[in-house]
Amino acid sequence: MKQVLIFAEQTAGELRPVALELLGAGRQLADKLGASLSCVVMGTAIAHLPAALIAAGADLVYLADNPALETYRTLPYRRVFIDLIASMEEPPHIILLGSTTTGRDLAPRIAAYLETGLTADCTELDIGPYEHTSAQDPSKVGLYKNCLYAIRPSFGESLKARILGPWKNPQMATVRPGVMVALPRDATRQGTVQEIPVNLSTEDLGLVVLETLRAVSESVELAKADVIVSGGYGLGSTEGFVLMHELASCFENSAVGSSRKAVDSGWIAHAHQVGQTGKTVRPKLYIACGISGAIQHRVGMDKSATIIAINRDAYAPIFKFAHFGIVGDLYQIIPEMIQQLKQGSVPSNFSKTGETNVLTHTL
Amino acid sequence: MNSFVLIKQVPDQSAKAGVNADGTIDRAKAKRMLNPFDCFALEAALQTKRLYGATVTAITMGPPPAIEILYEAIAHGVDQAVHLCDRRLAASDTLATAYALYNTVRYAGDFDLVFCGLQTTDGDTAQVGPQLAERLQVPQVTYCESFEIQGEKLIARRVTESGTQVVQCPLPAVVTVANSAHRLAYRTLRGVQRVHQLQRDEVERNQVIQTVSLDDIQADPARCGLKGSPTIVAATEKVGEIGGKCVLFQGKPIEAMVSDLLADISLVELVQR
Ligand SMILES: Cc1cc2nc3c(=O)[nH]c(=O)nc-3n(C[C@H](O)[C@H](O)[C@H](O)COP(=O)(O)OP(=O)(O)OC[C@H]3O[C@@H](n4cnc5c(N)ncnc54)[C@H](O)[C@@H]3O)c2cc1C
Ligand SMILES: Nc1ncnc2c1ncn2[C@@H]1O[C@H](COP(=O)(O)O)[C@@H](O)[C@H]1O
Repeated sequence: MKQVLIFAEQTAGELRPVALELLGAGRQLADKLGASLSCVVMGTAIAHLPAALIAAGADLVYLADNPALETYRTLPYRRVFIDLIASMEEPPHIILLGSTTTGRDLAPRIAAYLETGLTADCTELDIGPYEHTSAQDPSKVGLYKNCLYAIRPSFGESLKARILGPWKNPQMATVRPGVMVALPRDATRQGTVQEIPVNLSTEDLGLVVLETLRAVSESVELAKADVIVSGGYGLGSTEGFVLMHELASCFENSAVGSSRKAVDSGWIAHAHQVGQTGKTVRPKLYIACGISGAIQHRVGMDKSATIIAINRDAYAPIFKFAHFGIVGDLYQIIPEMIQQLKQGSVPSNFSKTGETNVLTHTL
Repeated sequence: MNSFVLIKQVPDQSAKAGVNADGTIDRAKAKRMLNPFDCFALEAALQTKRLYGATVTAITMGPPPAIEILYEAIAHGVDQAVHLCDRRLAASDTLATAYALYNTVRYAGDFDLVFCGLQTTDGDTAQVGPQLAERLQVPQVTYCESFEIQGEKLIARRVTESGTQVVQCPLPAVVTVANSAHRLAYRTLRGVQRVHQLQRDEVERNQVIQTVSLDDIQADPARCGLKGSPTIVAATEKVGEIGGKCVLFQGKPIEAMVSDLLADISLVELVQR
């Protein structure tokens, strides 16, 4: 039977959220293909994880439980992974890993070993047909029914690229954390657990982890904030972020975000960056100030429940996907907003409903 | 000790020149620059020269203008360079690129360390470094922030989501350098003088910067370019307008627009995606 295989990343016996998200996405792909959904989990003292993975959608869990696998290391994990694939009757149709530092370290090694295609950091996945007609490379011509559509933002301002490689299985992709949606946990789901062998050579064990310093709890809690006030290049300087903080402090459980151009300009630390090479967020409210809305920023925030954009340019792309917008100078608008919020004339929790009497423009 | 550093020339996207109306890149018109992430890799390689007396070789694969970034690298202190330049490489994906670079590395000789940037701004995959390591059959240290060499081993700090890791890695190895590592230092006077010299003296230039083809490095053309690439970009789509309905306030006094907007935020929970 066809398989969709997922790499279920864990640290210290705890699954990473992306593992469950991948199972959610993988389930959809597997159902569309009529395939089974399997996952591989590696570590030590992780016998409790398969049940959680099955409850999250897996039909089959490959379990590699070995002290040498305690902390992620490229070569031991690579070895177990490629041995697993070699042991299969046919290679998986699709392999997915999270585009975390671990997934991006491991996936290219496996793809290169298998000499197969790998698409990085996808934000959407689908299955569909593809007909290759270009005669430039005749060996590729033909109709392929079940291709993995690996979709990611592309270089350029507002484009997404659909990348395919149906000529060889597995078709591989890494997927952005925070983008796919995990299934609701279902403890009644049935699945199989299969222990897999761990045969490591001395070369595999050459690299040694001497020390792991846990991240000092990052003060930027973008992922957990209900309200994010984000500043872009339109702020013009680092002082603009003082204003962002002031606006954020008008809301409960808020944080300050930024675009990459503001980070690259040195106005704020990278930990605040939202987007393709920053964080993916879904707050209840996202206020984008002086941000144009380039695709690489958008993929990190467009799942926010409500988006407000403030921009001088009425044709800025951000107004195409924001829910509310004010066209004007942020240095006039934000102070006014802070003042009105502080006067408390306006509810700062989102529980009340009211009449709307505004003009609605559609750009 | 031998250090290699892999650098790529990319279109400069801060300059609007060369961006087509549909958002794609017109590579012929776009301004070109050294991939910003590779500056950190270059600095790391130069550190091995300053601290351990390594000979540093810069390697790039790209069309003829890519020689510009090799001059740039030499101005910063790189000793020599290899430019893989061959039309048959067009449309290479990461697997084909890593294969071609692998052959270039082998052509360039023995190495202790190969430094790569974290990712490129045009390909943006962060895959080429690990794929190259796989071909070379050596260990890798990705997301490396700082390092030192102790005897035959590399001691490196890597940054991950869950914290900083200190690892000890046998040599030879491939290292991809994080953008939190040391910034690239200034060009050296000697380096800049050397570039001027090379630009004047073709014989010397050809010694210091070797331009090679797939045949020179004995790479199989069938594994390069379009043919050797298992993936293709099948379609690019304009990002659709999700909703496409923005309640937009404009042309009114600031105070009125803000109060209208804030009155509306109370509807937030009713906005469905
Ligand atoms: C591989 C890759 C990865 C990337 N990753 C990310 C990422 O993770 N996150 C990210 O954000 N970007 C990322 N980018 C960059 C992205 O393409 C854009 O360049 C960036 O998002 C633009 O930032 P910006 O909107 O702040 O700046 P600009 O595009 O310059 O927009 C500034 C906006 O401010 C407005 N403005 C100016 N002055 C004022 C004022 N006084 N009042 C109101 N409005 C004003 C202008 O009208 C303009 O719309 C990436 C790019 C690449 C190629
Ligand atoms: N054409 C190339 N020539 C030289 N080095 C490259 C090339 N493409 C990628 N690299 C190296 O691989 C790294 C990762 O690139 P990428 O996988 O495209 O994001 C870059 O930072 C470079 O160090």
